[in-house]
Amino acid sequence: MIDFLQNWIYLTGSMALVGIGLYIVLTNTNIFRIIVGLNIIDSGTNLFIVTIAWHPKSVMPIYTATNNLVVNGHVISADPLPQSLVLTAIVIGLGTTALALAIAVKIYQKYGTLDVRKIKEEDR
Amino acid sequence: MKTYNLAALLVGVPLLMAFSIPLFGFISKQLAKWITVLTLGFEFFFGLYIFFWHIYPFNVIMGNWVPPFGENLYIGPFATVLIILVSFVGLMISIYNLWSANHGDVVHFALLFLMFVGGSIGLISTGDIFNIFIFMEITGISSFALAAYGPERRALGGAFKYLVISSIGSTLYLFGVLLIYTQLGTLNIAEIAARISQTTSGLLTFAGILLVAGLAVEAELFPFNGWVPDTYTGAVNPVSATLSGIGSVGGIYVLFRILMTVFGKDGNFVSTYGNMDLMALVAILGSATVVIGELSALVQKNVKKMLAYSSMAQMGLVAIGFSIGSKLGAYAGVFQLVNHSIAKAMMFLILGVIVSFGIGEHIEDMKGLWYKSPFLTLAFTIGALSLLGLPLFGGFWSKFALVDASIQRGGWYDFVIAIVLFASVVEAFYYLRIVGYMFTSKPTSTDKIKVSISPAVPIVAFSILIVAIGIFPQIVGGISWNAAHELTDKMGGYVLNVIPTIVGH
Repeated sequence: MIDFLQNWIYLTGSMALVGIGLYIVLTNTNIFRIIVGLNIIDSGTNLFIVTIAWHPKSVMPIYTATNNLVVNGHVISADPLPQSLVLTAIVIGLGTTALALAIAVKIYQKYGTLDVRKIKEEDR
Repeated sequence: MKTYNLAALLVGVPLLMAFSIPLFGFISKQLAKWITVLTLGFEFFFGLYIFFWHIYPFNVIMGNWVPPFGENLYIGPFATVLIILVSFVGLMISIYNLWSANHGDVVHFALLFLMFVGGSIGLISTGDIFNIFIFMEITGISSFALAAYGPERRALGGAFKYLVISSIGSTLYLFGVLLIYTQLGTLNIAEIAARISQTTSGLLTFAGILLVAGLAVEAELFPFNGWVPDTYTGAVNPVSATLSGIGSVGGIYVLFRILMTVFGKDGNFVSTYGNMDLMALVAILGSATVVIGELSALVQKNVKKMLAYSSMAQMGLVAIGFSIGSKLGAYAGVFQLVNHSIAKAMMFLILGVIVSFGIGEHIEDMKGLWYKSPFLTLAFTIGALSLLGLPLFGGFWSKFALVDASIQRGGWYDFVIAIVLFASVVEAFYYLRIVGYMFTSKPTSTDKIKVSISPAVPIVAFSILIVAIGIFPQIVGGISWNAAHELTDKMGGYVLNVIPTIVGH
């Protein structure tokens, strides 16, 4: 059980976050909640990126006298590349969220509501 | 492997100029608009230089790190034709913006516009599958802001819808990329393409479906195109022209770069590795897009919404063309992409001029336009006839090639011919209805529309180009054929040009 948790909890957790986020985006009619849902999807993706670079027994990917990256011909260090990718993904997610919030503020100023259905009715 | 590092300017200059536009904006607003014109003019002539001096195919290698170890730009025939197309449409729309963008925050509008075009050019030229994600987000974020620009409040709803769908789409794309990365440990398109058969088949299929779902949002394929009508109708007309003329080009390019170069399995007709032929999947999505787009356009009474639905349907036709998988099919796809983005951008610009003179967007408002402005009416007619594929106009050659390619493929692609012809008939019906209103009915008022020089230049240039392509199809045909070769022959056309020493598996 502990083994299973150690190996899979982050992977299943990231997938669950994406699922929860999608559920929130699809079922809510409030624009602010949709933005929160998008953020949860982003968190799930970022967790997934970090997870694929890592396993429970991995060491840091920096070569020093005491930190062997290769043991018995197997690389045991974590993969450094996805960890640099995740920085990009986090920054992009931040930018999208900021823009979405700015648009939401504008929508509230022009329509006086954040409910998607009411906005649609007013446009008719 | 040929390198030509100067071409990094293609991506560098628009991004640099975009972020220095606020500085020019301090001096004068007019200067900020002219900077976009100058930058995109530079891009356009650089593209023509690459084309006419036959420098392509070549790589741009960053910091002397040879691919697959470093990041590279790869500009082959397909990228060349699309760079010329995107920078030409961008240049024309920026000339139009000299006249049209005069309310609100003009300086930041110019910034976002330049960032969008620069991001699209980066998207088309990059050779790294994660950089595609970054450029997708650059174009994405700038286009959400562009779509929300303008005095009308319906723009905000459209922009928000686009934002939500597009960010979920790019997340799915990122998931697909990462699944491939876990299998192969590389992000370089050429290396992935050469080693794609080493992956687990089931995981590859799953990754492929995620990639298709993510990219179909930008490429406007059903069922991921729910944002198209609202966003196009809400945005100001130059932005609608930009989204349909430039944004969808980038989406289609990446979709088929991934499917045909990365996932492609060479043969008479390109199919994909994995448990499922993703090209067939895209063919089904494309056919559904055509049928739904055309039928929705048919019942619209709002001309702008009609153009938006027609844009969807045309992208479906492009996707069908590429998904046939033969050289002729890819040729038809590239050709149709060029024709569509020129014609549709022009029609949105014409609508922008009409609306600015206080005439509505409703189909009844088009009545008697011929008596008010023969110039705009003729240009609109040329665009409409090209889209529905009449001989002597650009669209004829691409639809002809599309039908020809489906006949050669045979099998259930015979069904595709039926769809293309059906699309043409439905398109003819709703476009000719507008054109008929324009020519026949007497207008209620006979105020002449006087088009000033700055919006007239792009409209004239686009209509001359459409007729020129119709009479001399070899203008686009030659390079489209090279592009088709690059797409269908994945090792010789792409991989070996980037990494000459790699062995395909």
